[in-house]
Amino acid sequence: MAMHGMRGLSVFISDIRNCQNKEQERQRIDKELGNVRNRFKNEKGLSPYEKKKYVWKMLYIYMLGYDVDFGHMEAVSLISAPKYPEKQVGYIVTSCLLNENHDFLRLAINTVRNDIIGRNETFQCLALTMVGNIGGREFAESLAPDVQKLLLSSSCRPLVRKKAALCLLRLYRKNPDVVNVDGWADRMAQLLDERDLGVLTSSMSLLVALVSNNHEAYWSCLPKCVKTLERLARNQDIPQEYTYYGIPSPWLQVKTMRALQYFPTIEDPYTRRTLFEVLQRILMGTDVVKNVNKNNASHAVLFEALALVMHLDAEKEMMSQCVALLGKFIAVREPNIRYLGLENMTRMLMVTDAQEIIKRHQAQIITSLKDPDISIRRRALDLLYGMCDVTNAKDIVEELLQYLSSADFTMREELSLKAAILAEKFAPDLSWYVDVILQLIDKAGDFISDDIWFRVVQFVTNNDDLQPYAAAKVKEYLEKPAVHETMVKVSAYILGEYSHLLARRPGCSPKEIFGILHEKLPTVSTTTIPILLSAYAKILMHTQPPDQELQSQIWAIFNKYESCIDAEIQQRAVEYFALCQKGAALMDILAEMPKFPERKSSLIKRAEYSEADTAEQSAIKLRAQQQPSNALVVTDQPPANGATSPVPVGPLSLAMVPSMITTEDHTSTDPALSQQNGSLTKVDPQHPSADLLGDLLGPLAIEGPPGATVQSEYNAVSRLEGGPDAVDGSAIVPVEEQRNTVQPIGNIAERFHALCLKDSGVLYEDPYIQIGIKAEWRAHHGRLVLFLGNKNTAPLVSVQALMLPPAHLKMELSLVPDTIPPRAQVQCPLEVVNLRPSRDVAVLDFSYKFGTNMVNVKLRLPAVLNKFLQPIPVPAEEFFPQWRSLSGPPLKLQEVVRGVRPMPLPEMANLLNSFRLMICPGLVSPFI
Amino acid sequence: MPVAASAIYFLNLRGDVLINRLYRDDVGGNMVDAFRMHIMQTKELGTCPVRQIGGCSFFYMRISNVYIVIVVSSNANVACAFKFVVEAVALFKSYFGGAFDEDAIRNNFVLIYELLDEIMDFGYPQNLSPEILKLYITQEGVRSPFSSKPSDKPVPNATLQVTGAVGWRREGLVYKKNEVFLDIVESVNLLMSSKGSVLRCDVTGKILMKCFLSGMPDLKLGLNDKIGLEKESQLKSRPPKSGKTIELDDVTFHQCVNLTRFNSEKTVSFVPPDGEFELMKYRITEGVNLPFRVLPTIKELGRTRMEVNVKVKSVFGAKMFALGVVIKIPVPKQTAKTSFQVTSGRAKYQAAIDCLVWKIRKFPGQTEPTLSAEVELISTMAEKKSWTRPPIQMEFQVPMFTASGLRVRFLKVWEKSGYNTVEWVRYITKAGSYEIRC
Repeated sequence: MAMHGMRGLSVFISDIRNCQNKEQERQRIDKELGNVRNRFKNEKGLSPYEKKKYVWKMLYIYMLGYDVDFGHMEAVSLISAPKYPEKQVGYIVTSCLLNENHDFLRLAINTVRNDIIGRNETFQCLALTMVGNIGGREFAESLAPDVQKLLLSSSCRPLVRKKAALCLLRLYRKNPDVVNVDGWADRMAQLLDERDLGVLTSSMSLLVALVSNNHEAYWSCLPKCVKTLERLARNQDIPQEYTYYGIPSPWLQVKTMRALQYFPTIEDPYTRRTLFEVLQRILMGTDVVKNVNKNNASHAVLFEALALVMHLDAEKEMMSQCVALLGKFIAVREPNIRYLGLENMTRMLMVTDAQEIIKRHQAQIITSLKDPDISIRRRALDLLYGMCDVTNAKDIVEELLQYLSSADFTMREELSLKAAILAEKFAPDLSWYVDVILQLIDKAGDFISDDIWFRVVQFVTNNDDLQPYAAAKVKEYLEKPAVHETMVKVSAYILGEYSHLLARRPGCSPKEIFGILHEKLPTVSTTTIPILLSAYAKILMHTQPPDQELQSQIWAIFNKYESCIDAEIQQRAVEYFALCQKGAALMDILAEMPKFPERKSSLIKRAEYSEADTAEQSAIKLRAQQQPSNALVVTDQPPANGATSPVPVGPLSLAMVPSMITTEDHTSTDPALSQQNGSLTKVDPQHPSADLLGDLLGPLAIEGPPGATVQSEYNAVSRLEGGPDAVDGSAIVPVEEQRNTVQPIGNIAERFHALCLKDSGVLYEDPYIQIGIKAEWRAHHGRLVLFLGNKNTAPLVSVQALMLPPAHLKMELSLVPDTIPPRAQVQCPLEVVNLRPSRDVAVLDFSYKFGTNMVNVKLRLPAVLNKFLQPIPVPAEEFFPQWRSLSGPPLKLQEVVRGVRPMPLPEMANLLNSFRLMICPGLVSPFI
Repeated sequence: MPVAASAIYFLNLRGDVLINRLYRDDVGGNMVDAFRMHIMQTKELGTCPVRQIGGCSFFYMRISNVYIVIVVSSNANVACAFKFVVEAVALFKSYFGGAFDEDAIRNNFVLIYELLDEIMDFGYPQNLSPEILKLYITQEGVRSPFSSKPSDKPVPNATLQVTGAVGWRREGLVYKKNEVFLDIVESVNLLMSSKGSVLRCDVTGKILMKCFLSGMPDLKLGLNDKIGLEKESQLKSRPPKSGKTIELDDVTFHQCVNLTRFNSEKTVSFVPPDGEFELMKYRITEGVNLPFRVLPTIKELGRTRMEVNVKVKSVFGAKMFALGVVIKIPVPKQTAKTSFQVTSGRAKYQAAIDCLVWKIRKFPGQTEPTLSAEVELISTMAEKKSWTRPPIQMEFQVPMFTASGLRVRFLKVWEKSGYNTVEWVRYITKAGSYEIRC
């Protein structure tokens, strides 16, 4: 070693090592630096030995992490020393201390060049190493031709050529212009004919870099690579020193296969066949052995081969062979191999047809979730997430849920997020989705991000059918002894909005619901209290008939929080209290939350976002690449209320909707929220109050006791329950013909009747499509939006919608697209103008094609007469003169209906309200 | 009283725990690891003595080669905590008889544990007075009460001592020769601009006392401070004496001083504890006599040469002299060679602190030695940043000189037996942070 005999240096190093603490070390270093500065400044100059010694000291100090900003001149000057020891020090220190941007390097270029073109091999090697280490632009420009010459010269020893190849690689990476594409392709091919494996390995590294930038120019190298690979795989002509545990140069094998992966395909059948033979040999010939080093080497080769197989899109047979091999790996004990097996399976998912084969190993993968090694658990989770589809979603999600309670804390957040996404994406039905999310919150409340529970609230709000179920479910959870705060949030929201739907069930009276919720109030944080307050206000509003005791209880709570220090809580308390005094107006203000506009699931967005820092090829990304339509959320659900844009929903428009609109976040700008906040002035302009009322009371009316019949004055629609006996007025309208093989889900007539009372809901549903409707009425104008939702993973084609309006209605349907993409929803606005009163009903002739099935349905549209009514309150003194001024039928009709089951007065009032008929209280007709 | 500490740690400079004591359960035993990771091993060490990490507050202080760390998880009184540390160190020093450092701690583990148990209870500081603690935490062997020979010293009654009216003094002390030593120690803090104008200047002083007096003496100290003199002339209804009076700020007394009497009569009267103690502390910001004037001229001649000329003038009386004068003149980091010419003392370049260090052992008053040096710099890679020119620092001690001009006018001792006492008074002025910009 060059340090031999340098006493000063070794004393210095031992001094440093003996330092007790950082401060002593710094002082010693500063002293030494002062000494070195003094020596370098010496006029007499230093002997080469001294110079070498001080430069070593400088390097040592620099390596300890101290700033050395002088003495570079001395280091560079050592490069030009004639003797090897000084030259070596010069090169080493220069390559450590200087980087490519230092000006001092210019001084060295000439010396370095002389060494490179000189005859001394050791000097050549030193120079090449330094150039490779620093690799600046100036070096590249002035030295690249010489380095190339060295690489190609046949007279040089392999050692020098190896270094030249690596040096050129580094220069190329820094500055791709150094390699002239036209000239180099041939020379590169020529280089690959090299017999010496060392030079070949270095050249292969260079080739990998070259083809990664521009594979087209190096086509000629492809057969050479295959040939090299063949030579290695057959173990022909491999010197002993290049075999590693009996494997012929695994490094070269890996590099060659890596290079091959940069070429898109292999067209030449002969080359292709040869390559596949080689790959087959590698796949077959690898086995798990005892020796760790051998295992590592053979697996490196094997996994690269697997990557190549995937890249080349091999035959299915080979693919299944690969999966079988991986299946074997994920079952072995060695964790590294298991990890690699799982990771490569995740990669395998890129090849679509492998998914089925991988599914066979599902049980084994699920076992890996319980592996003691967390990185393996993560890979297993990724893989499960990636391989999940409609068929196995239920199993996998349930498995994940089960695993959640025992999972590592660091993993729980990711786990719950993934479970939530899978549940959302592949839910067979929505109640299952709600179940899964509630279980998630129950089991891992701390790890549930807000996005997850926002999402479930969105779903429940947008699905009328789901609301009673969800309300009942959350109530169940809430009755458990220990409840997580997130669960309290969800429950408070859902119970506030929908607990009235349960009012008839035992133990679900508003008072009891309030009791359950209020129990949790002392345990929750300030972010949850506002939600609870809103829930109280809503419960109070829904309590019909009003319950004095409950009211006083809730008012007391509002009173208490009126002086709360948290501004949000205080505001809500004050406003709700004031609103409660308003009486009937409360109904308008605290109406049910409008539906959320469809938007890309923020969960999926988050997953995509978070995946940026996980493994390069994460399962999520792969999945996203395979199924671009995943960007759309589950669409087998009824229409969204808020979206009034006539643009058909496509992935693009969806992506532009901001995702982070939250239901409870008070900073959100969602207009719907102003209602939530209870502010009087900010009622959503899109929803006139009558409309909201209809929305709100619709479900109540449906939940009414069966057989309740209402005879309206106009008798347009008489029976709600739509039983077989309930056909009188509606007999006039054409009933849809059922000549389709596809059976609708639910009773179409019932849906129609329900829609006569409500302004939004499902009009029609079958296994392929769901048609939702949402309407707004203003005087004789009506604006309907049809939501055509494709429930399948295949597109619906030849979609046609034709309006058959009766004479009194003017209708304009916007263009309906011919195709509905898989799992997407299309909105079609429809304008209606009523010209004169009539009882005829408009019909929508709707047809589509699914596979070979042509489906055609004729649907009545709920643009019935009562929708165009406008209720006006009339005081008693005005009513009777008007009433009397009307002469008999058809202007005036009075009828007493018999044989109707009795109905409570408020319910009756609700029903009439939803027919848009005004009830004027306090009138006693002189005729009755 | 708020909590001062949940735990106290003594660490060496490497971060190893030498000794520790947990007073409350609200901090984990491994919190010191957080200190090591987040404070000791970062560059922030020494920048701020109070840091908060993971819900715990760390107060730390370096005394010689030991870090004393106090960990608190509640809202503690920081000043109280630091005062506790300072007092505890003084206590340890008086027990060890001198230095407080890593070796001293290693040699006195048992004693330190005993003391730590006594001086703080559940995070609340207790009696830290060495005189009292030495009564019942002793370093010698204790004679068993059952041994046949009666002990020559009565066993002190600790409870009575601590709860009595004069908790700091034991009764029945007898000295053959009754002596009192009074030291007035002042340190001067100065920041002066390169043109010689004073930017900041103050003196912090303390009066240290060493008493060897019998019985229960009552002492009265008179200084030439403004308030005391005015009050005195008021009481005696005679015009104030001409001569310099000193205005003292921020006066703090030892607990033995009778504060009611100070408030009414403005006299410092007290029953002193036995042995050594700090009677009072004060600060003076007006009318400071600076002992030294420094006139530096530093010229940068080109990129690699500097010329330094420093003249130091002593402005105290010609008969007095300063001891241990050290003048540190900063030079750039890339200093390579230096050459000096000094009229007295010695100078050399110390690379470890990047300073020219000029030492003068004995510096008589009314003289002005000079230093002229030539500094050669080495050329560096990063030439852009210019030298920041830190201030020149100075260290000195001037005996029998007070920068404030404070003088002891009288020290009266009354005792029932009426013995005679001998009083000794010393003055000394030291440099605090005495800095001159150049």
